[in-house]
Amino acid sequence: MTALEAVATYLPSGRVPIEDLAGQLELTPMQVKLFRRYHRLAEVRREPDGTLLDLLLAAVANLDGLRGREHEIRYVLHARTFPVVVPYPVNPVHALCRILGLDHAVAFAVTHHACATGLLALDVAGRLLAHDGDGLALVLAGEKTFTRDAQLVPETSVFGEGASACLVRHAGPRDRLLAYAAHVRGEFDDELSGDPAAYQREYHSSLADVILAAAGKARTDLGDVRLILPHNVNVVAWQRLCRRIGYPIGQVLLDNVPVAGHVFCADAFLNYQTARERGLLHPGDRYVVAAAGAGRGATFSAMVFEH
Amino acid sequence: MEPSLTIHKGTVVDSIRVLLPRVLRRDVPAADEDTKLMEDLGLSSSTTLELMLELEERLDIQIDVEDIDQDDFATVGTLAEFVASHLLPAE
Repeated sequence: MTALEAVATYLPSGRVPIEDLAGQLELTPMQVKLFRRYHRLAEVRREPDGTLLDLLLAAVANLDGLRGREHEIRYVLHARTFPVVVPYPVNPVHALCRILGLDHAVAFAVTHHACATGLLALDVAGRLLAHDGDGLALVLAGEKTFTRDAQLVPETSVFGEGASACLVRHAGPRDRLLAYAAHVRGEFDDELSGDPAAYQREYHSSLADVILAAAGKARTDLGDVRLILPHNVNVVAWQRLCRRIGYPIGQVLLDNVPVAGHVFCADAFLNYQTARERGLLHPGDRYVVAAAGAGRGATFSAMVFEH
Repeated sequence: MEPSLTIHKGTVVDSIRVLLPRVLRRDVPAADEDTKLMEDLGLSSSTTLELMLELEERLDIQIDVEDIDQDDFATVGTLAEFVASHLLPAE
């Protein structure tokens, strides 16, 4: 059973209020007000002089569990919202492996579940390691806001920079992955700017369905779920979702939405880190990680873990 | 002037009719209470929230959106009903 052994994250210190992005993102004053008032987005982090490699290395630098165990790493996976995250021929994952002495590992990007790809990468890592029988995988997430699509989810959210790094085992005492459900929605597989309204109409019921599917697979009643670690698109979407599934909004960790925005596939891990720092998870607690990917690779995903 | 804590649904409906062209950035055919916001007018969840912000400014009210659900977005009438029954006191 896949286990999340350690998680580390990194957020750049540069804070950019969403008002400062309005011109660049062609947002009207009313759209900015809507983001701040209802979506509760306030600022994102940016590191204008840093590369994607810098972001990923900064997250790995905080991953103390990796120190001295580099030889155990069999796979390095980079979970990407967008398939293209750097100009060709830059390859930040291979560069990271060289710098960290992980050249022996098989390194590759995981894509095509959009912002739900972080969960897919955990699943893929666990499956590969289960086949091997031992070893560790390093699962990375985080991207640069280097294209317009990587800056704005129309009518929904603003992307921010940041990164996460996780050590994954095929089995272990913490945090055990109990269930994974992923619903790939090909009918919404389009550019982000395609038809937001059609996706929005299905969003809440689709995300609710996949959360309930994962909970069902884990034989876990939602009432026994200590926390939901969400994707950080906005607050109002989770308010409506919670209403739909009858889950207390106070148990959805939304604290990072105003301070970090939507950090691509790293949201879940940033929120996990926040939950740990605040002592919100205790041994035996079950929690749900949920993400919805819009645009290319539209997918709704959820995982149930036991801490 | 302090934001009002009561408002008639009909007043909200009238304001929605006035504000729809601004939110949709195009001319809008005459709408009544039964007009469907998404199917008939092409509003999304997000543009409906934008409409609510415009209503707040026009009517000098504050709306509590925490309990809003998909059903409230169904028609001009359901949205007006939601707004009229979810006013927040002045901050």
